[in-house]
Amino acid sequence: MRVRLANIHKSFGHVEVVKGLDLEVEDGEFLVVLGASGSGKTTVLRMIAGLESVTSGRVLIGDRDVTDVLPKYRDVAMVFQSYALYPHMTVFANIAYPLVVRKRPKAEIQASVSDVARQVQLEPLLDRYPRQLSGGQRQRVALARAMIRRPAAFLMDEPLSNLDAKLRGYMRAELKHMQHELGITTIYVTHDQTEAMTLAHRVALLEKGVLQQLDTPTNMYNSPANLFVAGFIGSPPMNLLDGALVDGRFSTTAGSFATPSHASHTTAVAGVRPEDCRVTEVGRGNIVGEVYTTELMGDHTLVTCQVGGTTMIVKAEKTFNRRNGEAIGVDFADVAVHLFDKACGQRIG
Amino acid sequence: MTRGTDPRPLMRRLFEPRRLDTMAPAPRIFTYAVLGLWTLIVLFPIYWVLVTSFKIELQVDSGPYYLPFVDFQPTLDAWTFMLLQNNTLGPYLNSIVVALASTFLALLIGSLAAYALVRIRFQVKLAAVLTFIVLVIGVIVAVGALDVPWPAALVAAIVLLLLALNTYVRRFNAAVGNNDIEFWMISNRIMPPIVAVLPIYVMFQHLKLLDTQIALISTYTGVNLPIVVWLTRDFFAGIPLDLEESAEIDGASKFRVFFTIALPLVRSGLAATFLLVLILTWNEFLLALFLSNANAQTMPVLVAAQNTTRGPQWWYMSVLIVIMIAPVIAIAGLLQKHIARGLLVGAVKG
Repeated sequence: MRVRLANIHKSFGHVEVVKGLDLEVEDGEFLVVLGASGSGKTTVLRMIAGLESVTSGRVLIGDRDVTDVLPKYRDVAMVFQSYALYPHMTVFANIAYPLVVRKRPKAEIQASVSDVARQVQLEPLLDRYPRQLSGGQRQRVALARAMIRRPAAFLMDEPLSNLDAKLRGYMRAELKHMQHELGITTIYVTHDQTEAMTLAHRVALLEKGVLQQLDTPTNMYNSPANLFVAGFIGSPPMNLLDGALVDGRFSTTAGSFATPSHASHTTAVAGVRPEDCRVTEVGRGNIVGEVYTTELMGDHTLVTCQVGGTTMIVKAEKTFNRRNGEAIGVDFADVAVHLFDKACGQRIG
Repeated sequence: MTRGTDPRPLMRRLFEPRRLDTMAPAPRIFTYAVLGLWTLIVLFPIYWVLVTSFKIELQVDSGPYYLPFVDFQPTLDAWTFMLLQNNTLGPYLNSIVVALASTFLALLIGSLAAYALVRIRFQVKLAAVLTFIVLVIGVIVAVGALDVPWPAALVAAIVLLLLALNTYVRRFNAAVGNNDIEFWMISNRIMPPIVAVLPIYVMFQHLKLLDTQIALISTYTGVNLPIVVWLTRDFFAGIPLDLEESAEIDGASKFRVFFTIALPLVRSGLAATFLLVLILTWNEFLLALFLSNANAQTMPVLVAAQNTTRGPQWWYMSVLIVIMIAPVIAIAGLLQKHIARGLLVGAVKG
């Protein structure tokens, strides 16, 4: 079902953690709320679940205003970072709990549990206790418990962050597949941009309680709405150069280059992604600099360059072999340049 | 390194352990000697009571005799008298009913209160509390001294309280929070019980409940509530909030969360609290002495009653003490596993 947040404010005492958030999640959509710690992303999720009250604004699930409705009447299911499995219950009892609470007939519970357990491959483990399970298995119990009710929406709070890297990658794919199969609206909170980029239909990037951009992962990567988004999305992050824009030409202390814009702006920031840059001979590129350090990543090399008082990272061939301190040029196409207003951070043109 | 061929000099072998998790011989001998001595000191009175229960008056008076069959010939005289001729079973049954019922009630009410104090934030205006106290005193004075009919006084007080809550009380900010409530509860135990005994006696006299199990059960429940709240609040506070929030999203009510999630997770702590409160009530003497007579008499009072005008009848007393401590030892044995876990490790780790 659709989930809508209308002008949500949330304060804890005098600290305002969410400042006027508007968000609309389509039916069946996988929306990832991305943000650093302290951005208010978990608070947003908890407000949708009803675990936290809103200071002002409305929360709607489907067409129903649930702003002042208790969690149990909201028909959402939540997966916690800690999984929140009930340690004194077996896997079966854990998964069955939402149905037992709703006093469903025994036979139906039995059937539903074994159905869901099959989907997440937990069938042989139904008699175990949570402490006897591995991290990945616990994660799947938490998922099964959320799935069994076929809720209006799934809420997930960093569900993969307690897993080791390899398992995380595997569960990420599982999760995406499962969400696609079930077609249930999912709101997923994470600080990990890889999870956001790979899982989401749309990403909502939050910073200090304010929505920075709400868009598909591709659009967010290709045209970040402001400096914060530009710096947050992408690893290694986008290179940002201070300078002045005159008639579409950008000048910095390390050189000047053409941009896709025709505007003028005295204090601007130009952003170029590391993979759009190339290291060239001195004088042949857009700007000049010198090699600061190189890091071989396996299939490519990250070259950190010193350019006019700041550093740029260039993604180069794995065969890159210049020495530290060697003078170089950095080249990139005009269309690869993103322009931002330095004062307000917004994208120009 | 092979055993037995320790190359270290004698003193180091005596005082230095071979591994970090063991003790060297000298400290070990000393430790066990002290512990053994202490064990003797603790166990001897129990042994002495057990032996004395098989003696007759003459053997007690001309004693001391330590070893049955060697020092003296044991008899079942005291046992047969206490169990068959004397009314011992009545007080014994009273003790069992009173202790179990009041402990169960105190645990139920106390753990609910503790849970609420941990999970719900209370903000009661101080002005409201003071108004309430003033009104209670007013009602007592009006009914007791001025002969106002009590329903009238009560209604007047309730009306005044509601009025106060909606007027001047709102203008004060000072409030009583959870910590204050917790401290107030435990502060009830600071007062020596003897201070409260007479008012409680008079109260039950008026209620015509003196010398009933109900009087003892309700008094003990009230007296032990603070202890239960104080002990169990830490167990509840140790439950990760995620578990309870998850249950609430899953559709459970607060009561359901309490009974199906919170309580089972603190069962070790509850077992420890249960035993502690049970022993406190089982052994309670002062209140029982005042509130019970022939009908509701409990074991501690009966034991004390063996100190007659003819002097203390140690042999009868010993029989009573033996049958008093036996069930407590049995229950402690049954709950031992839980108690060690409940008091040492914390209640939740699953």
